[in-house]
Amino acid sequence: VSSDTESRLGELFAQLPKPDAEVGDRALARALDALPLTASRRHRPALTIRALVFVLAAVIALLAASAGALAAVGALHVSFGQSPHRSPQRSASPASQLAVPHGARGVAVTVDGRLWLTTASGLRLQGLPVTAAALSPHARYVAVGLGKALVAMAPEGRRAWSHPTPGHVVAIGWAPNGLRIAYIVKTGGRFRLYAIEGNGDHNHLIDPTVRATTPTWRGDSLALAYVSGGGRPVVYDLGHRSHTAISNPVARDATFLTFNPSGDDSLAVATRHAVLLVAGNTSTKPTTFQDETVAGIGWVDGKLAVALNPRPPTASTVRLFRVTTGGGLIESGRLTAAARIEGLDAWGSRLTLAVASGSNIRILSTTIPTAGATARSKLLLRVPAANQIGTLATR
Amino acid sequence: MKLGGVRERSDRDLVRAARRGDRDAAAALFRRYWPSAWRVALSVTGRRALADDVAADAFERAFAALDRFDERRPFGPWLHRIVANRCLDLLRAERRLTADHGVEPVGVDSDHRAGDRGLLDALAGLSLERRVVVLLRYGVGMTPKEIAGALDLPVGTVNSRLARSLEQLRETFEGQGVERH
Repeated sequence: VSSDTESRLGELFAQLPKPDAEVGDRALARALDALPLTASRRHRPALTIRALVFVLAAVIALLAASAGALAAVGALHVSFGQSPHRSPQRSASPASQLAVPHGARGVAVTVDGRLWLTTASGLRLQGLPVTAAALSPHARYVAVGLGKALVAMAPEGRRAWSHPTPGHVVAIGWAPNGLRIAYIVKTGGRFRLYAIEGNGDHNHLIDPTVRATTPTWRGDSLALAYVSGGGRPVVYDLGHRSHTAISNPVARDATFLTFNPSGDDSLAVATRHAVLLVAGNTSTKPTTFQDETVAGIGWVDGKLAVALNPRPPTASTVRLFRVTTGGGLIESGRLTAAARIEGLDAWGSRLTLAVASGSNIRILSTTIPTAGATARSKLLLRVPAANQIGTLATR
Repeated sequence: MKLGGVRERSDRDLVRAARRGDRDAAAALFRRYWPSAWRVALSVTGRRALADDVAADAFERAFAALDRFDERRPFGPWLHRIVANRCLDLLRAERRLTADHGVEPVGVDSDHRAGDRGLLDALAGLSLERRVVVLLRYGVGMTPKEIAGALDLPVGTVNSRLARSLEQLRETFEGQGVERH
């Protein structure tokens, strides 16, 4: 009986489909890029003079390649008050496992609907299909949209809780104190904004018609901002259960929102071609970008970082804006990327950037250097991808 | 081994050359094992997209670690071990997330032919641990000893899982009415 079953298994395995040739070509390219450059040196036999010359040439080439790789990993150049320089684009060393940046407790990235997550506590997910994701403060937990549910996972990989939702979760924002989560669900062609406590209790609807822009929490975790269905940024106060729409017409059709994490109530609002600060009922004069599109915003060391992609595509930049005592924005420096920036996340004194590189997305962690210095970047992840960056979060 | 008068290089030769930076040798190694690695991934995950990712990731890891590979050992089982473990890691993580509330359970693509579906459905009915052992044995052709080495299991455990899996599969095949032609 067993041998009959074994025969059937063998036959059925032989009928399995073949991989697509295109997939194989991409995989081959990735695999060849991963070959260790230094491996040959360990297995080389005793050197002749001719071989020694060859080795010296190889070492020189290797040093040049290493320098190139370092330059590629640090594919950012910083300039203060100068014209941006374009850095040469080179292939980075492979990093198919997401690395946690120095000093961080966790990092989460969703690319083309798949989640890469690594925390210092040991939780690691690679390529998990999710609809959205967010890290809790200190990266102790991760909340993901999985099917029609919001699911929270604990550090050891245990499912802490799940809450059924009426549709797919498309955006998640975890409050700085970890006690609440705001999330947006797509249902019936509309987006609804909900809030739920960090332990999965007390789910409630905040707004039945919003846009899919990721909500942001104020530093005290008592208010959150989102984009209404009509495109206006709205600040929702949980204590008073009040909604305050931002009336400044420049802020309409906002694409990114982020509260200053320092604890004040200043909210940075970005549209496709402008940024401005809103605090209470007052707004700063907007800073506009004529031929550039905003690809992300975040607060780093008290400065507002704005990622910009030019039209036509040349050197993308991250511009740093200092907030004046009057609440205005003054550019204080810029980083130049060798390739198109697809996303930006700021934490502490670092930036996490998603940069397009051929058919790959590279996730880089970079420091903000002092004036005149070069930004130091670390490659966290490189994945083949179309271009759909969802979550980009470092804690 | 000779094929059409051209001597086919052994895995060991290709590995050695690849370690010296010979990209043609590495590519030959890739082409030799890519189909089987992908099929292992497809058989375990049941989904083409995941199989694409897992198999590519496994090759990337294998080539990145080539300088640490013990070339006295066969390359194929080592690679398949990486593939199988990547599948297990991924599916276990997914299972943790989906357990108890049935969200997007591990299933199979719907675009396979009837024969493929029969196998994939049958394999999907096995536990993850048994599924991997079965496909390494009958899909890749590894011996129980090689499987034990690849998965860090006692040979007895491998044999036990194989026997129980075969019994379960026999019942499944009978239930599906899978016939031999």
